[in-house]
Amino acid sequence: MEIKQTALAGTLESSDIQIMLSKGTDGIKINLDSEVKKQFGAEINAVITSVLQKFEITNANVKAVDKGALDCVIKARTIAAVQRALGTTDKPAWEVL
Amino acid sequence: MPSVVTLNLQDNQTFQDWQAFLTSLGITNFQTNELTTIDLTLGIYDEAAKLVATGSIAGNVLKYIGVCNKYTEKGTYFNTIVSELMNQLAQQGVFHYFVFTKPEYAQSFEHVGFHQLAGTEFGALLETGDTNVTTYVQSIPKIPHQSQKTVAGIVMNANPFTLGHRYLVATAAKANDLVYVFVVNNDVSLFSTAERLKLVQEGTKDLPNVQVVNGADYMVSYATFPAYFLPTPDAAIKYQTTLDARIFKHQIAPGLNIRKRYLGSEPLSRTTNIYNQTLTKELPPEIQVVVIPRLTGSAHQVITATQVRQAILAGQLAAIETSVPPTTFTFIKSNFKILQQRIQKGMNIDGN
Repeated sequence: MEIKQTALAGTLESSDIQIMLSKGTDGIKINLDSEVKKQFGAEINAVITSVLQKFEITNANVKAVDKGALDCVIKARTIAAVQRALGTTDKPAWEVL
Repeated sequence: MPSVVTLNLQDNQTFQDWQAFLTSLGITNFQTNELTTIDLTLGIYDEAAKLVATGSIAGNVLKYIGVCNKYTEKGTYFNTIVSELMNQLAQQGVFHYFVFTKPEYAQSFEHVGFHQLAGTEFGALLETGDTNVTTYVQSIPKIPHQSQKTVAGIVMNANPFTLGHRYLVATAAKANDLVYVFVVNNDVSLFSTAERLKLVQEGTKDLPNVQVVNGADYMVSYATFPAYFLPTPDAAIKYQTTLDARIFKHQIAPGLNIRKRYLGSEPLSRTTNIYNQTLTKELPPEIQVVVIPRLTGSAHQVITATQVRQAILAGQLAAIETSVPPTTFTFIKSNFKILQQRIQKGMNIDGN
């Protein structure tokens, strides 16, 4: 799937993650800011990547600012960002969850 | 957790509370020209209906961000306000944000994903979003072996492109392998960005080593240098021009191997004159500043775009023809009525 427009989901509040998804040309590129990047950076990136793969997105730039989000939150925020970026928010992709 | 509300600054009582709160945090510039650019102001009130956090948006710039951390964990209100401002801008399709802030708060913004572009002792400029200065520099066309060539840069508003601009570009093109002409990106000038870009491109077409580029948000933009477009006290102009010069020096020039910056001497505009002084102070030794004396017209008067705009208002086509290249003249001639209507509708022509 091709990203149509940049999209933002999530907040910067504690236990949340803010995801900005935009067009990319060179695979999935994730720029992660997190205070626990050292401990959980690889896992956060893996959760984001797996959601993008389920939507068959192969090229994307992701800017993620993590404030201690759990995996389920990361997943939910990424799905919201993807559906906004694809312009498909009117058809929730339940099967991805 | 108290919720975020929109503040109506037109309401006198709300405005006074807001101003008093920011003043108590050391934010004291409430000049009209700063306030009129605000598109939206958000706030958080505590249980006692006291304002404890606020932030505003002007275009894609976050402004007037102030937070009281007395009764809460540090950063909570700040993160709430900043993320709500970003969400509001995202709904309008804006995904590239700037913030001016005092140096001591720069770190708070870095914690929420912002990246510092330039800093001075008075303030820092940071950005975040789906594009940034790195992707901007990458997107600019380059030539083979550019790192071994002599490369120069010129920044101009070109409102519109005159024989004076042309002379500056041609002089630089003669002395360098490659010249980047960055055209200021804003739509508060008489000629729109698209028109100005087109006229610079057409007016330099015969110079093969000139590359015309949109200056985006990084060169004399509304975000980095509002004083260029708004009447502003000297101190603020100095601070803004310093930021602009440092962005050029550290973020733009290195990736393009720009070692020289060409300026036209500035006998008439106070703001641009201060800008030139700042560039001369900030850019060397990495970037050499070359000041080219203004081209004088037939009557030994310097050629300025301001005079061209005044001639458009006065309807003096003949006076314009001697000051601009044929390409610019053709454009003005065929759009004469439209340009005059823009001025009559209130477009300021006395600035830059």
